[in-house]
Amino acid sequence: MSILYLLIPLGVGMLAVAVGGFFWAVRQRQFDDLQSPAVRILLDEDQIVPPELQQAETQD
Amino acid sequence: MSEPCFHCGAALTPNFRHAVQFGGQRRPVCCGGCEAAANLILSQGLERYYEFRAPSPPGFVLQVREWQAFDREAALRRYTHLRADGSREVSLRIGGLHCAACGWLIESSVGRAAGVHEIHLEPASARAELRYDPRQISLSELLSRIHTLGYDPEPLSFTGVAPDWSVQRRDMLRRLGVAAFGMMAVMTYAISLYAGAMAGMTPDLEQLLRLVSLVVSTPVVLYAAQPFFAGAWRGLRARILGMDLPVALSIGLAYTWSAIATLRGTGSVYFDSAVMFTFFLLLGRFIELTLRARAGRENDALARLLPDAAVRVREAGTERVLPEELCVGDRVRVFAGERIPADGEIVNGQSELDESLLTGEAAPRSRGKGGAVIAGTLNLSSVLELQVTRVGQDSTLAAIRRLLVQARAARPRLASSADRVAAWFVAAVLVLSIAAGAWWWHADPARAFPIALAVLVVTCPCALSLATPAALAAASARLARGGILVARGRALENLVRADYVVFDKTGTLTVGEPRIARVQPLSGRADEAGCLEIAAALERHSGHPIARAFANLSSPIALTDVTVAASRGLEGHLGASCYRIGREEYVRAGCKSIETPQCASLGGSAVVLGDRQGLLAAFTLTDPLKSDAHGTIAQLRALGLRPVIASGDNASSVQGVAARLEVSTAHAALSAEDKLALLRSFQQAGHRVLMVGDGVNDAPVLAAADVSVAVGGGTDLAKVSADLILLGDRLAPLTLAVNTARRTLRVIRQNIAWAVLYNAAAVPLALGGWLQPWMAAVGMSASSLLVVLNAMRLLRAAPPTLELVSAPVNTKATLRAPA
Repeated sequence: MSILYLLIPLGVGMLAVAVGGFFWAVRQRQFDDLQSPAVRILLDEDQIVPPELQQAETQD
Repeated sequence: MSEPCFHCGAALTPNFRHAVQFGGQRRPVCCGGCEAAANLILSQGLERYYEFRAPSPPGFVLQVREWQAFDREAALRRYTHLRADGSREVSLRIGGLHCAACGWLIESSVGRAAGVHEIHLEPASARAELRYDPRQISLSELLSRIHTLGYDPEPLSFTGVAPDWSVQRRDMLRRLGVAAFGMMAVMTYAISLYAGAMAGMTPDLEQLLRLVSLVVSTPVVLYAAQPFFAGAWRGLRARILGMDLPVALSIGLAYTWSAIATLRGTGSVYFDSAVMFTFFLLLGRFIELTLRARAGRENDALARLLPDAAVRVREAGTERVLPEELCVGDRVRVFAGERIPADGEIVNGQSELDESLLTGEAAPRSRGKGGAVIAGTLNLSSVLELQVTRVGQDSTLAAIRRLLVQARAARPRLASSADRVAAWFVAAVLVLSIAAGAWWWHADPARAFPIALAVLVVTCPCALSLATPAALAAASARLARGGILVARGRALENLVRADYVVFDKTGTLTVGEPRIARVQPLSGRADEAGCLEIAAALERHSGHPIARAFANLSSPIALTDVTVAASRGLEGHLGASCYRIGREEYVRAGCKSIETPQCASLGGSAVVLGDRQGLLAAFTLTDPLKSDAHGTIAQLRALGLRPVIASGDNASSVQGVAARLEVSTAHAALSAEDKLALLRSFQQAGHRVLMVGDGVNDAPVLAAADVSVAVGGGTDLAKVSADLILLGDRLAPLTLAVNTARRTLRVIRQNIAWAVLYNAAAVPLALGGWLQPWMAAVGMSASSLLVVLNAMRLLRAAPPTLELVSAPVNTKATLRAPA
C-alpha cells in the first residue's frame, strides 16, 4: 500500500493542473458565450487559404 | 406587400424599387440603408449571414447617427482606454444585435478592417469589446462601419454604472471551479477516511489523507468561499446580521477546527462538510447570478437622448464638439433632423420641434426667435441657431432625472423589512448553535463541536434567503423573453396586489401615429383616389408627423418646386396647377377665387387639400387604437383589475376611446398634477394602482404608482422611470406580466413554506446529535438547490407565449433619413 504515499500527492498535483486549465479556459472566455460557437462552425470559411495567400490578404 | 425586405424583413416601401443580387436573384430591399448594408455584407463575401441569422425582433429602428465627434480627445478619454502599446480599447453596446449570426457578421466584417487588433462579441448581452490601433483607424470609422452593417453601436464610458455581468460571471465561475475540483478530491479522501476508520488504516496513511485534505480545502475556503466571508464582514460593519454570517461561520469554524485537529494529529476533521457546503452554496449563487444577469440589462436611457455631437459656432467658424463640452453662452447650430444638444434660446431661425420625448405631446411645436428649447428634443424642419442657457446639472434633463430619483426614494421599502426578519432569524440560529454546543459540552464534551456545527449548518437560512430573489430573477428572465423588462425587483410583488390599472391614452392605448380615417371630396374636380394621390405626393416632402399618415400611399405623381411653410402646410406644382395641403386657412390663402364651399364640419385634426381654384378635399385623421388594446383590457378585467383611462387629451376623443374599449371610467384633459392627484385618490381609497404610460410628463405619475409600466414604443425617458418596460408597442404582454407575477408569488410562498418545514424537521435532529455535519451540509444544500430549481420552473413558457411569438409584429428597421 506504500504506493499510496506517491499516488495521493500525485493526485493533488493533477488536481492543480486541472484547476489551472480551467482558469485558462475562463480567461480565454470560453464560457462567456455558449451559443455562438455552435453556429460559428457553420458560418466560418471552410476553404483553407495557403499561407502565402493569407499574407497577401492581411497586407491589403 | 408580397415580399418583405431582404435585409431587415420589414414591409417594402412603395416607390423604392431597389434590390440586391443574392444567389443569382434580384431580392428587393426596403430602403437605402438596407441596400447599403446588404451590398457591404455581400461584397465582403459574408453571404452566409443570411442563411443563419434569426429574424430580427420587433421595434428596432436604426437612427441616423453622427460619429465624427467621437474622435475628439474628450470622447476618446471618456470611452476608450489607452494601452501601453499605443492601441486603444473600447466597449460597445450594439443595438439590433440579436443572434449569433449577427455577432459573426460584425466580427468578420469589422475584424477585417486594417488596424483592428481584436474584436470580441457577446450576442447574449449585445456587448462588443474592441482593441484597435488609433494610427490606422479612428473610433468614428469603426462605429460607422458597424452602423453601416445595420446595427447601432453605443460606446460605453469606462465609468459606466451598469455592472459588467461577464466579469462577475467569470469571477464566479473560477470560484465555482475551484470549489468543484476541491470537493471532488476532498470527498474521495473523506470516504477513504471513513472506510479506513471502519476497516483499519495505518496511522501514517490516515494522517497523510488528513494533511492532503487540508491542502486541498485551503484554496476552497480562502478563495472560493471568499464572497461569503466578504458578505458577512460587510454585514457586520453595517451592523446587520446578514445571511452570509452563519455561512461564513460554518465554513470558517469547520475549517479552522479541522486544520487544528490535523496539525495536532488528534480529533475529528470536517473538511468534507466545509468544502461541500461551499460548492453547493456557490452553485446556488451562480445560478442566481445568471438569472439576474439575464433579467436586467438596461442602460441609462437619459444620456442617450443627447446627440452625439453639437456644432459650435465661433467667430472663426464652426466646430464639432461633444454636448458635454458646451458652456452657457455658446452658440450652437442645429440642423433639421438633429436633436437639440443643450437647453437654450433660439437666436436665429424658425422651426418645428418634436418635444414628444419630454412632454409626451405628439404634435410638434413651432418655435421662432426668442423661443426656449430643451435639450433632447428633435428639430424637425429647418436650421436653428441657439444660445446655450443651461448645461449639466441645471438642465431640464437633469432636473427630470432628479425628480425621478426623489419619486423613487419616497416608496415604501419592502426589501428592508425582509432583511430585518432575516437578521432575527440569523440571531436565533447563532444563539441556538451556541446553546446546543454549551448543553452538549456538559453532557458529552467530545460531541459538542460537531453538534453545534451541524445545528449551525442545517439551520442556515439560505433556502429562506434564496426563496424570494431566485423566484424574482427567474420571473424577470421569463418576462424578458415575453417582451417585458423588469427594471425593479419589487415590481412583481406589487403587481400581484394591484387592483386598478390606469392607462394613458396617446401612444399607450393608441398607436400614437395619425392615420387617415375619412376622405371627403369637396369639389367635383377630383375624386377620392385622385385627391389621395396628390396629397401623398405633397406629403412625401414633409418631415411632419402628420405626413406619416400618407407615407404608406403610393403615388405616381412627381411634383416640382415643393416649398414647406413651417407648421402650416406644403405647396407644390404639377404642370400649370399649384396644390397646397395643410391647415384650412393656409390652403384657402392659396386660392385665387373666393368661390369655396363652406365646411364647418371639419374638425381640428383635419388636413385640407386645395389648388388655385378652391378646396379639393378634406382628410380626417385619427389616432387608431392598438389592435390588442381591447383584448388586453378584457383579459386584465378578467384577472380582477379595474381599467381606468387618464389622458391629457380632449374629452370627446377620450370618451370615444373609452367607449370602444368598454372602459367605464375615463378622465380627460388631465395635466401631470391632475393625474398624480387622481392616482393618490385611488391609493387613499385603499387601491393598489398599476399605471401604464409612455410620455415623460407621466414619469412622476409612473413613479408614484404602486407599479408602473412604460410602453417601449414610447419614449426612452419613461423607460428609466418605470418598474416594467414593454419592449414593443403591443399591450398583450401586460397580461403575461400579471400572470407571471401571480405564479411568482405562488412559487415564493412554496419556497418559504419548504424552507420553514425543512428547518422544523432538521433542527431537532441536529440538536439531538443524530446529524453529522456532512449530513447537515447535504441537507441544507439540497434544500437551497430545491428552492432555486423550483424558482426556475418560472422560466418555462406558459401557454400565452406561443401566441406572443407568432403574432404579426411591425418589424420596421430602416435608416430614416433626416427631413
